[in-house]
Amino acid sequence: MKAISDKIKSIAAGLFDSGKIDVFIGWEGGPCDYAIRPYIARSKADLERMAFNEYAIHNSSNYLLKLRDGHEKIGIVVKGCDSRGVVRLLEDNQIKRERLYIIGVCCPGMKDPLLAIKAQSGLLPQRDCDNLADKCLNCLVPNPVIFDELIGEQQPPHMQGERFAKVAAIENMSVAERFQFFEKEFSKCIRCYACRQACIACDCRTCIYDEMRPQWVGRENSNSDNMMYHLVKALHMAGRCIECGECERVCPVGIPLMLINNKLAKDADRFFGPYEAGLSYVEGQKPALSVYRENDPDDFI
Amino acid sequence: MKILAKDKVAELLEKIAQQAEVYVPMAIEQGSGFYPWTEDNKNQPLLLDALNVYNSPKYILFPQTERMYDLKQQGQDLSIDQTHEDSSPRVIFGVRACDARALRSLDDVFLTRGFEDSFYKARRDNVTVIGNACYAPGANCFCEAMGVDLTEPEADVILRDAGNDGYIWESKTETGDKLTRAVAEFLNDKETKAPEAKSFQTQVDYDGVAEKLKGMFEHPLWEKMAEPCVNCGACTYICPSCHCFDIQVKMWGDSGYRFRCWDSCMYAEYSAEAGGGNPRPSGVERFRNRFLHKLEFFSERYGYSLCTGCGRCTIVCPAGVRITDIIKAIKEVDSSVGL
Ligand code: SF4
Ligand code: SF4
Ligand code: SF4
Ligand code: SF4
Ligand code: SF4
Repeated sequence: MKAISDKIKSIAAGLFDSGKIDVFIGWEGGPCDYAIRPYIARSKADLERMAFNEYAIHNSSNYLLKLRDGHEKIGIVVKGCDSRGVVRLLEDNQIKRERLYIIGVCCPGMKDPLLAIKAQSGLLPQRDCDNLADKCLNCLVPNPVIFDELIGEQQPPHMQGERFAKVAAIENMSVAERFQFFEKEFSKCIRCYACRQACIACDCRTCIYDEMRPQWVGRENSNSDNMMYHLVKALHMAGRCIECGECERVCPVGIPLMLINNKLAKDADRFFGPYEAGLSYVEGQKPALSVYRENDPDDFI
Repeated sequence: MKILAKDKVAELLEKIAQQAEVYVPMAIEQGSGFYPWTEDNKNQPLLLDALNVYNSPKYILFPQTERMYDLKQQGQDLSIDQTHEDSSPRVIFGVRACDARALRSLDDVFLTRGFEDSFYKARRDNVTVIGNACYAPGANCFCEAMGVDLTEPEADVILRDAGNDGYIWESKTETGDKLTRAVAEFLNDKETKAPEAKSFQTQVDYDGVAEKLKGMFEHPLWEKMAEPCVNCGACTYICPSCHCFDIQVKMWGDSGYRFRCWDSCMYAEYSAEAGGGNPRPSGVERFRNRFLHKLEFFSERYGYSLCTGCGRCTIVCPAGVRITDIIKAIKEVDSSVGL
């Protein structure tokens, strides 16, 4: 990791020197390894603060949203999942490819800094934090799908076992059981919207949950409003979610949001595919459910 | 002194539960918080000896969603059918000093300065708080720096963990005396000593920060500090003292109800104006508001910081924002730069 970290810094320094970039998105080191966090360097001198280690799990592409209205040329470090986020932003016209210089890191899998800080906080309960993070244990695309320069050896997918096993278990429930399962999970939701904010596919400027006139989704912490929140988010994610797992990782109450996202990925592929969100960038390409066609095969409307 | 033996805790809770709803720190699945001691919950692990739980007792006095009143509309007229002030007796058991201080800040906000919030008051007047003194602060704790004495939670009764001897039971108020009499059968008389408090792993100096912040509204530091933040709001919902709310209505035809629900200054909607403007157009202004409220505004109004040093926001932040770093940065920076 130290080697990757040094490499990133030296490439970035070169990019600043040659004027190819004005800012650089990566990670800032902290008082300990897991305290690493996303960082935007604005000059070569800022690179001093940067680091990359086994806790650099955050989806770096999310930080492009902070710069989407500017004109700076941006250098960015991406892992596999982050690179798919970049593709999504390009597809949604949120940022122009010409503004980006992408350094891809073939990702050996990350640990979750949230589990690590909890483990030493003294707050209970805690979970084992030595393993790869859940999102990485489910990762099929650890190698960046879009880059200008690549660091590290190609990695095999980290996912073991059947891809949709957990989804199949839910599909096999009766409708009533399934409803009960999700009702129980969503009843825990505190509607903090961390899952929305951490999500790179949630790039709308005005989110439907923030609309007040009319208010589409109620703000009560009740089964019906919570359910509505999650249903709407799910439908908005279909064909857009790149399965980076950030939503589930940041949820402070541990709701298994990836079950829903995996199911959406499966169905988007089955009904509108073959399709997998954000796997490659072709100019003008749109996600599966973002195209309007008059001869749409759906006759249910 | 009065002692509550550790193996008597469950029986004592049982007894109190006959008269009041009792909330205790416990773990349920991956989460933890102050949950009611009910038949269903009794088998869950009790976390009295843990440093703290993720969800603070804030929601017991200030529920995340609270129905206020039912209403009917007839033509231009609205009539209020029923208000839902809730004055059932409640006991919150095992509150740490940081969280007890947070309850005091809620009291100041909802009950002082010329306005009493009747919904909060109905709950507050009927709550007994049993504190749980800390002697071994955790890695993210810094309550001492924020003016909180970890061994003296502001509560009606204080428990002090004296190891095998049990908990020292110290009543601090009349409400505490009343509860003490009601549970006398579970308390023994015995002399023992509370442990020495260990020193803090996280050191931070808040002295003078509130005053210094007065001139720093436009400081370039905010932009830098807000950079990792994704404005998710998790820190505000997990914070024991954040207390912003919105009042909204649900109507079906001509009847419905008003309720209030937690809100967060991290959201765009929070500061959206009816005319379409927003005085906090980007994440930086929202971020700045949160930390100015915690570290400056509240202290100007009430004389102490709204951050109690519990460390929770740092623990849940998906982007690694650390409030102690912010305090340090403010302390160190030249406040005149960029102005
Ligand atoms: S999800 Fe894949 S690419 Fe992303 S951090 Fe984990 S292993 Fe790396
Ligand atoms: S829904 Fe979750 S997994 Fe999908 S892109 Fe958003 S944060 Fe990533
Ligand atoms: S992060 Fe979790 S608790 Fe917060 S809104 Fe999303 S699902 Fe609900
Ligand atoms: S939890 Fe962290 S990222 Fe989320 S709003 Fe708070 S400071 Fe920002
Ligand atoms: S601001 Fe953070 S440390 Fe301070 S009281 Fe709130 S959650 Fe605790």
